Amino acid sequence: MISAIGNNVPESFLSLSQSKTGIGKINHLTTRYKDEFLAGEIKLSNEALADLVKDNNPALNRNSYIAMLAAKEAVINSGIDTNDGLRTGVISSTTVAGMSKTELYYKEMFEKDDHLNVLDTHDCGDSTERIADYLGNVDYVTTISTACSSAANAIMLGCRMIKHGQLDRVVVGGVDALSKFTFNGFNTLMILDREWCKPFDENRKGLNLGEGAAFVVIEGENALNLRKGKALAEVIGYANANDAYHQTASSPEGYGATLAIQQALAMSGLNPSQIDYINMHGTGTPNNDLSESFATKVIFGNQVPKFSSTKAFTGHTLAAAASIEAVISVLSLQNSMIFPNLNFTTPITETGLVPETTLVHTPLNTILSNSFGFGGNCSSLIFKKA
Amino acid sequence: MTKAYINGIGCISPQNSIDSEWFFDSINPAKGDYFDALEPSYKEFIAPNLLRRMGRAIKMGVAAGNIAIQQAGIEKVDAIITGTGLGCFEDSERFLLAILNNDEQFLTPTSFIQSTHNTVGSQIALIMKCHDYNYTYVHRGFSFESTLQDALMLFEEGKETILVGGIEEHTPNFVVLNRRAHKFQETGTTPIWKSTTPGIQMSEGTAFFVLNKAKTDKSLASIDGIQTLYKPKTSADILNKLNGFLKQHNLTLADIDVTLMGFSDDVNFDAKLQELLPSIQKESVAACYKHVCGEYHTASAFAMWTAIKLIEKQKLPKVLAISDKEPSQIKHVLIINQYLGINYSFTLLSQC
Repeated sequence: MISAIGNNVPESFLSLSQSKTGIGKINHLTTRYKDEFLAGEIKLSNEALADLVKDNNPALNRNSYIAMLAAKEAVINSGIDTNDGLRTGVISSTTVAGMSKTELYYKEMFEKDDHLNVLDTHDCGDSTERIADYLGNVDYVTTISTACSSAANAIMLGCRMIKHGQLDRVVVGGVDALSKFTFNGFNTLMILDREWCKPFDENRKGLNLGEGAAFVVIEGENALNLRKGKALAEVIGYANANDAYHQTASSPEGYGATLAIQQALAMSGLNPSQIDYINMHGTGTPNNDLSESFATKVIFGNQVPKFSSTKAFTGHTLAAAASIEAVISVLSLQNSMIFPNLNFTTPITETGLVPETTLVHTPLNTILSNSFGFGGNCSSLIFKKA
Repeated sequence: MTKAYINGIGCISPQNSIDSEWFFDSINPAKGDYFDALEPSYKEFIAPNLLRRMGRAIKMGVAAGNIAIQQAGIEKVDAIITGTGLGCFEDSERFLLAILNNDEQFLTPTSFIQSTHNTVGSQIALIMKCHDYNYTYVHRGFSFESTLQDALMLFEEGKETILVGGIEEHTPNFVVLNRRAHKFQETGTTPIWKSTTPGIQMSEGTAFFVLNKAKTDKSLASIDGIQTLYKPKTSADILNKLNGFLKQHNLTLADIDVTLMGFSDDVNFDAKLQELLPSIQKESVAACYKHVCGEYHTASAFAMWTAIKLIEKQKLPKVLAISDKEPSQIKHVLIINQYLGINYSFTLLSQC
């Protein structure tokens, strides 16, 4: 995993356990608003990323660099060997793909030939194929784009393909590099906070954008046993539903979110009371947090589990958000820690829900993780300690 | 092995495919080195208040989806799965140029909102009030293939009716830039399967299909299997994988009445298919489609529409045929698609 809170998992864990946000002044993105807004940038330039990837192919862009780094870390950490003859897949996800580079050269390309190769790396499939080639011996690739729930859907598809016997293991996740395109898009929608975002706070103003990539290796039981490996966590529930309310806004009552959580719970066989912690979508926008709070109350009634949004650490990393939060959930399970919902002071009047605001040490067995996106796309995942 | 029965189809392409009577009788040639989709009057498919704001990809997608749903005679689906390589490119480009031309000022959100790749799938969900499974695949020449793979799994998981579709649009600027990058060539006198020069004819279009888990009296054909192949090294690898794929369905190449091959007119991308052609022709009847629909990420959706039409009409139109050999019947149709010589796929369809 790579994001504003660290270039790898150990660095990210350190930031999380020290309640240290990665969101700050904009340094790498070129925008006229760089002094007016904050963002969760990865603290490395493209040149520094290229050095880490050890590839100076000019066709690579920020999206590919960070995807390759995070996917490689996941594979090394898992201990799998993609050369052992088992079927390996890469399922990635991204919303704007190569846009961070396209936007630099789009107009120039009409006059000069120097950067026409940007056309080859603009699309969403590019970074996925870069990952596959970087890892080597990959049998299956595909890419999902369902806005901010993308990586949750990649994780879900990976689990299903293993269940259906189509793959033995799969590297799943998401990636989005910060771009002027998304920054201005969210700014135009007037859902960016100029200060640090305050998920689930009555006075929340909006989100901080972030960037990042995170991948997890999911193995079927057979593949895991064959190499006598040990899993970090198990995916025991997942669901995708659609709010079908508005292209960008969530329904006030959180209907799609409620469906996704209900269906994921049903698959896991757990009662709501058996969920130990919820890693919320919690972007910090007035609309999302209210809608998600209502959905939470519908499912959990007056017994809402401990919950927090970790977006005040990383910023909203769009397609990568769900896989970054999957890694954070695994860290929570492994270390018996709930990472805090930073910047919270006042509960939302309508729901009164209060997130965890300091680091909590508590045994955790099950975690629900939510991710919702434009187009009413709602996905929920349930992780269990292995 | 689970099959999917096709109960409704809708297709917008450079040809008159939106007319259910059209069967390759009149062909619109490429506009030199590219094709534009032949767009219908959308008023009969989309409500005017929605139509006003929609980008072209959304209009083409929603209209083709609507036609497929009408033909299937259904009101609801259990899942909506779309595939697109570049998504709503027109809206993406419009928002990008607004940012660049006005130094990030005076922007309005509409084109940003619509630029998201899953816009078509979610617009259809909004119109149909479909709260169920909604996915969008965006992987180059696997975008549409992934929708079929997913649908076949969903049927095993209990879903009954699924809408799948491939969507692609280009813009005049994008055509200009790709031409500047020497990606195109004009159609020449050499048949598309024998190209000796690089360059494709870029195109666009949408094709949607209502799939059903069970056969009904509306069923036009069945999808028996789908497999993708990432960067096969040689044409022998492809043939090997193809034989294995057919074997899973208790078939051999000799059982395939028509094989639709994704020649794109670019000799570099087509090289392996050119090598494969004699092996195909020995056992089956080979045909091609990209001289009719052009090349785009989801051209395989047009190929599937074509395969269904061949099965329905029990005839291989001359314009698609590679040789004079005519199929005696059309029971099994195989699509071998390729994109950039990197993404290959096999799709097997049968009469039902």
